[in-house]
Amino acid sequence: MNKTVLECNGIAAGYVKDLNILQGVDLVVKEKEIVSIIGPNGAGKSTLLKAIMGLINVSGGRFYINGIEKTNLATHKIVNEGIGYVPQVANVFPSLTIEENLEIGSWSLNKQQKESLKQIYDQFSLLKDRKKDKAGNLSGGQRQILALARALITKPTLLLLDEPSAGLSPVAINEVFSIINDINESGVSILLVEQNAKRALSFSDRGYVLDQGRNAYQGKGEDLLNDPRVIDLYLGKL
Amino acid sequence: MLDQLGNGLLLGIIISVASVALSLLYGVTRIVNFAHGEIIALGAIATLFLSSPIDYRVLFLDKFSPLGLDFFLSCILAVIICGLFGGLLELILFRPLRKGNVGNIAVLVVTIGLSIFIRHLYLLFATGKVQNFPLELQRRQTYLFFDMTPRNLKVLIIGILVMILIGLLLTYTKLGKAMRAVRDSEELSSVSGINSDNIILITWISSSMLAGLAGVFQATINDVRWNMGFLILLLIFAGTVLGGIGTSFGAMVGGLIIGILVQVSVGLPFMEGHTEAKNAVALGIMIVILLFRPQGIFGQKERIS
Ligand SMILES: Nc1ncnc2c1ncn2[C@@H]1O[C@H](COP(=O)(O)OP(=O)(O)OP(=O)(O)O)[C@@H](O)[C@H]1O
Ligand SMILES: [Mg+2]
Repeated sequence: MNKTVLECNGIAAGYVKDLNILQGVDLVVKEKEIVSIIGPNGAGKSTLLKAIMGLINVSGGRFYINGIEKTNLATHKIVNEGIGYVPQVANVFPSLTIEENLEIGSWSLNKQQKESLKQIYDQFSLLKDRKKDKAGNLSGGQRQILALARALITKPTLLLLDEPSAGLSPVAINEVFSIINDINESGVSILLVEQNAKRALSFSDRGYVLDQGRNAYQGKGEDLLNDPRVIDLYLGKL
Repeated sequence: MLDQLGNGLLLGIIISVASVALSLLYGVTRIVNFAHGEIIALGAIATLFLSSPIDYRVLFLDKFSPLGLDFFLSCILAVIICGLFGGLLELILFRPLRKGNVGNIAVLVVTIGLSIFIRHLYLLFATGKVQNFPLELQRRQTYLFFDMTPRNLKVLIIGILVMILIGLLLTYTKLGKAMRAVRDSEELSSVSGINSDNIILITWISSSMLAGLAGVFQATINDVRWNMGFLILLLIFAGTVLGGIGTSFGAMVGGLIIGILVQVSVGLPFMEGHTEAKNAVALGIMIVILLFRPQGIFGQKERIS
């Protein structure tokens, strides 16, 4: 059995005091896995990723990273635990150049910064070609690639992705998913939040369905896809 | 009109330095700091206190006598004091407000209250009357095609050097990049491993040091008054908005333009005998420019997605 990279245990969290959006969520991501979180709008999917990153107030439950408890770790230290995060909105620094975006992404690396930058450029030639351009001038798909690269530059063991395909053209979606697949094949675990549940579940090893801040269903990707209850709750709407 | 160009450049550089400070703070923290003027005044009052001769009564309270330090040293110390003061404001006031998710408008009102409070403390304890730095008078000379005293020329040169330095710092250093990153998104900065609280603290300190420097300049050229910062605050806002809110380069140029316009307008024919109204022309021009370029001269329209 693979090692557990991330474990969330009964997470309760919200944006303001005494108003929990998440009401006891459990979730596990193992080494090299792709795990997706689906659920209706407002279910708390983005909120869960923010709670993992320490961006919001966690009032109950525990987080374990590689088996060690890391509840309430300051956000800027979480990247050192090998977790990268690409938020749903504002996922690049628009007024910074592409190169500066990557430099900020590699803030926590000291000496290896140059080397990592070179590797990212080798992997994404688009970014190398336009490194002096402002990130704000990139197209949606190019931005998403930069956002992935920014999170990837520290060589995380787990990447949290919040709707990486939102607002992209079909061609760009395919490209982004193929990049995510490559990243996963290089040994990085992926925790993916997606609107497009069919695509996400068929792409994932396992999935969790969230509803109103709680775990509704979980299981293997294809099992969830065919589960009548999941179809009722969620997939039926598509 | 042209004889006012030297004065215009001087006022311009003061407003420019102060505008850069204001826009740096706004960019990184989204705080519109009405107490900015009081930090400017602090720079001047601290310099006055540090540098005036010991037997000279600067402060109304008899207990405090000035320190009689070297003038240049006093200026440097005053700028440092302003930086510490700004850092303290962040630590005891603005950080707790931020952690409590207090909204931007409420914070704006806090800075207005703070401005009034500090300003009246100055009135109570410091210089209720107009005072001058302990400097000997100098004759104006002609440099190229504008007139100013040698000391004021020094102010101008130091001002320009400081701005170049700030520009380089923001563009090329790790700290400058981090400041710009936090300006774009605090959340994304912190998930990238930046301790954004530290960056915001450093921003408060640098912004306040620049404000203090503007105060030292202003008092060197003119005089020290308890409300001197408040008096030029509107011009500083005008410079910041004119250049484009949140761009440091814009604030630099915007401040310079406002300063020059204010001074040069004194020389307009219909302004004769109405120097009190000199702000009208500059602010009128600012409004007209904004009508045609709402984002300011150098501001960029944000691409929303
Ligand atoms: N910044 C915020 N402040 C207060 N409440 C918020 C904030 N962001 C989200 N919420 C609330 O938290 C709940 C969950 O939102 P969340 O963004 O996690 O949903 P989601 O599952 O990601 O939805 P979507 O599919 O639309 O992205 C919603 O009720 C939303 O109104
Ligand atoms: Mg979401």
